Amino acid sequence: MRTHTSVSLPILPLVLLLAPLGPLFAEGGDSGQGPFTFHLDPVAIEWLELDQDTNSSKFEEYRDLDSGLRIPLLVLKGVGANGDRTLDFTAENVWRDDARLGLDYALAGKYGLSLSYDKIPHRFGNDAKFLWNRTASGRFEIDDAVQRANQAALTAQFAANRTLIAFPFLNNLLAPQIASARSIDISLERERTRLDFDLGTLQGLSWDVSLFHEKRTGLRPFGAAFGFSNVNEIVEPIDYATTETTTRGEWAGKSGGVTLGLRSSTFDNGNSSLSWDNPFRAVDSTDPGASSAPGSGSINGSATGRVALAPDNRSTGFFVDGRWRFTSGWWANANASKTRMRQDEALLPYTSNSAINTRGGAPFDASDPANLPIRNADRKADVTNLSANVGGRFGEDFGLTFRFRSYDYQDDSRRVIFPGYVRFDSNWVSTGRITVPPAFKRTDLGTELNWDVTPSTGLALSWNRQTWDRELREVEKSDEDIWKISADSRAIKNVTLRASYETGDRSIDGYHPEAAEDSFTNPGPLVTQPGLRKFDEAARQYDAWRVSADFLFGEAWTFTLATNGRQDDYDQSQFGLISDEVRFVNLELSYVPGAASEVYLFGTRSDRSTFQRGRQSGATVSVNPLDNWQIDFDEVNDAWGLGWNRRYSERWKSEVEGRWSKSDGEAEIFSPPGGTPDLAIGFDNYEDIELLALKAKLDFTLNPRVGFGFWYLYEDYTIDSFIRQGVRNYLPGALLLNANDGDYRASLFAAYVRLSL
Amino acid sequence: MNPRIRIALFTFVGATLVGGAAHALGFALAPGHSTEAPAAQATAQAAAVPAAASGYAGTEACVGCHGDQAEHLEKTPHGRAGFSKLSSLGCESCHGPGNAHAEAPDDVALYPRIEKLSAAKQSATCQGCHSGGKQFFWHNGRHQARGLSCISCHSVHSPKSERAQLKQASATEQCFSCHKDVRAETWKTSHHPIREGKISCADCHNPHGTETPKMITAASVNDQCYSCHTEKRGPFLWEHPAVRESCLNCHSPHGSNHLKLQKTSVPYLCQQCHANTRHPGSLYDATTLGDGARASNRIFNRACLDCHSAIHGSNHPSSPYLGR
Repeated sequence: MRTHTSVSLPILPLVLLLAPLGPLFAEGGDSGQGPFTFHLDPVAIEWLELDQDTNSSKFEEYRDLDSGLRIPLLVLKGVGANGDRTLDFTAENVWRDDARLGLDYALAGKYGLSLSYDKIPHRFGNDAKFLWNRTASGRFEIDDAVQRANQAALTAQFAANRTLIAFPFLNNLLAPQIASARSIDISLERERTRLDFDLGTLQGLSWDVSLFHEKRTGLRPFGAAFGFSNVNEIVEPIDYATTETTTRGEWAGKSGGVTLGLRSSTFDNGNSSLSWDNPFRAVDSTDPGASSAPGSGSINGSATGRVALAPDNRSTGFFVDGRWRFTSGWWANANASKTRMRQDEALLPYTSNSAINTRGGAPFDASDPANLPIRNADRKADVTNLSANVGGRFGEDFGLTFRFRSYDYQDDSRRVIFPGYVRFDSNWVSTGRITVPPAFKRTDLGTELNWDVTPSTGLALSWNRQTWDRELREVEKSDEDIWKISADSRAIKNVTLRASYETGDRSIDGYHPEAAEDSFTNPGPLVTQPGLRKFDEAARQYDAWRVSADFLFGEAWTFTLATNGRQDDYDQSQFGLISDEVRFVNLELSYVPGAASEVYLFGTRSDRSTFQRGRQSGATVSVNPLDNWQIDFDEVNDAWGLGWNRRYSERWKSEVEGRWSKSDGEAEIFSPPGGTPDLAIGFDNYEDIELLALKAKLDFTLNPRVGFGFWYLYEDYTIDSFIRQGVRNYLPGALLLNANDGDYRASLFAAYVRLSL
Repeated sequence: MNPRIRIALFTFVGATLVGGAAHALGFALAPGHSTEAPAAQATAQAAAVPAAASGYAGTEACVGCHGDQAEHLEKTPHGRAGFSKLSSLGCESCHGPGNAHAEAPDDVALYPRIEKLSAAKQSATCQGCHSGGKQFFWHNGRHQARGLSCISCHSVHSPKSERAQLKQASATEQCFSCHKDVRAETWKTSHHPIREGKISCADCHNPHGTETPKMITAASVNDQCYSCHTEKRGPFLWEHPAVRESCLNCHSPHGSNHLKLQKTSVPYLCQQCHANTRHPGSLYDATTLGDGARASNRIFNRACLDCHSAIHGSNHPSSPYLGR
């Protein structure tokens, strides 16, 4: 259950330590002395009353609107005696899980300090059924007696009639345990603290230091499996800490400038691994088919699963920015940065299954980390980024810009050979594997020509060539030429027109499907369709366009119509993504007859179509076209809104807004008869989602010091998703959390008093 | 790329950085070079020259007619007392000398309105003071190139936002006033907490201009994502190359109808690149859904990610398939 925790400010001591340094550092020192005068903006104290028909986590996914008290916004502004010092304090959603606090102190033109604290909840699902108990920070256990009973039942059935070890038997076995399982809410909370310290100017160079710390705590759904038929969805305990520091010096003048700085970021995970009990086994065991257990072929496997969680890592680097104005008025900008990313976490053994040893089909005791070729990950990657542009005006009406950018990612870690691996902690697979550190370089080179056709109409033409150089991937080199033409015009009075068209053509130097086998020490025959082209590397053509028009009618009416679209075609791809097309239309209308009233209407529709093809294979790659299948996905999204803000007198004002959005998706699937699959059935709930939100507010000002009001929010959310269709706690091959993040209907009533102190 | 071109481009990057650094060290590279902000220059100028002779009317003269504007300004950073420490010219710090206008207030041609200036001059007015920090790369930036100016988004006199003096109530709403398609994306069920106000467009993009595509603030899309999702930064023992090259291969950061901001729902997203033998190439249709006749754990719920849970990269020795 959630609790309203108190605000902690871990960086506050540091702020107090640094604050006195500002005046010492800033040239001229602190000239502002004397007491502050504070002004408190009108502050509301609000009572919320929530009525929700289900316990879906979706309503409060990123917010806290539970019943109770809150202060939506409090702003306190202070000014020093001689006016040059300011001290501002801001608080939002006080006493809530989504609270935000801010403190700003500045001496005008000298230095400044900004401190903020922000809580962001993220609720994934409520009322999940969970068989496990957390016995340590990264350890989830099931009562040993339950594991033993399940193992015994399976052993008996395997001996009596193994063919009956299928879903009905397993479902009956788990049903009483699921019925008595505890219920948990799955969510995490981000607590972000940021300190920006403008240290002022020293020798013409202004310096600032920023510190950022984020603590993430809570639970997140996590996929865990003991085999193809024994998937467990559990929760990952989140105990993440991210700390980032940036020190930056800048000299910025009228005709040139330079910025240089250092940046460091560290990530620490309080849980380096996660282990969880197998519901069906109490004792480790193995056999060659254990990764399909429990089933008619095997009931063996590990008693406990263990997975490596995100490792601690750090990133450090420097950056230099420069700009330079030529006498002609042209500007040149450049940026260079170098970053090293490292992680050296201790590796887990191949498995937690103690039965996988020389007697269990492995060349050694796979649960002993001493048998690993390396004990620590020892990974490092370098990023070198260079960019520059130069641009300006020539002639009366022309502008020209040249751009260049190079982003080079090199994972310098050594390739590590593993003689085999353990599949799902169940059985040893003696296929040698080797790590594949990625390396790639992306280069952009382009130019843009602008032409002011008239003082109110401009045209722009641009060309950009994007080049990729990769190692150890299917496409080692690709070039994409992108042309774009755009026009902006205000030639017609009270009308603004914007339009653009862009086309891109990516060519590749060849596609090497065998690169997909680079992680095998002894690659065998190709196991992927040779006609597959991974879309992120594949040759493609695309066209994109955008048109928008803003109209102003008289003094009160404005109308906006905008449309854009993009189509990507992967013509050389026989399998995988073949095409992707999206079209979007937006219209807005507003009527503002005066300061007392505003009416607005908006609507959007986007339609996305995606087409992909596959071919089903067995143990070897199918060459039979009858095994093909293809899917047309279509997603139509509509969103409409209507609002009316009205001030009736100096005392009364109201706001009303309604918003409705709907996503309607469909998957049309086809497979030719005679192959495998033989018959395909599509579905029309490729994420069908509808949200209706209505909000109304009435505000009354009693006198200059006191006001009060009410607001009401109604939301009705429904989701019909194929991926959750028929999902229960136990389904063939899967024991799931089945948390509630679905439909809800919520009414929220709020009453507030507003005080001007 | 041709090595000569590459050398030339790298030389250009270096020259620009050195050029900027030379300025920092005090070498004048252009006539009229000054390290002082214009407002500070104007202050010095005003102190040295009598008001009438310099063409300045003084703030009192402005307020005499434009009292409502002054009242609005008082609530903003430019109206706070500390502003006078930066410039003693008040209104004329931005609007320029107004004496001629004060003497002939009905002459429209003499109205010192910022709006009637060209976009470049509008921005130059603001950049007299605001030229560093986030504004460092304004020139040659995408918004500048499309003819926008500072006052396209900011209002000095009547801002609606608590911070940054925007024309809309928040940075996000400001961006959405033009980028309607992005706004529509954020209304989808899977979204970053943008519409809840917990993050804004400016957390990832710098609308004033950057050296990177789409005006993101980091060196690449992935570096941008890692700034919050640091657990995915690695580098890992077992890598997923498409992940390392771009998060956008699989995710739609502004919003999606599918879990985890996926561009296409799993398992089909994975099958856009993986057509291997056995289960990666299999068809998952309606019969394999949770209540289907051939219910399969490879389509419902987390689908592929039930087993391949370390899809962003794994540190487990037994995880070449990004499971564990």
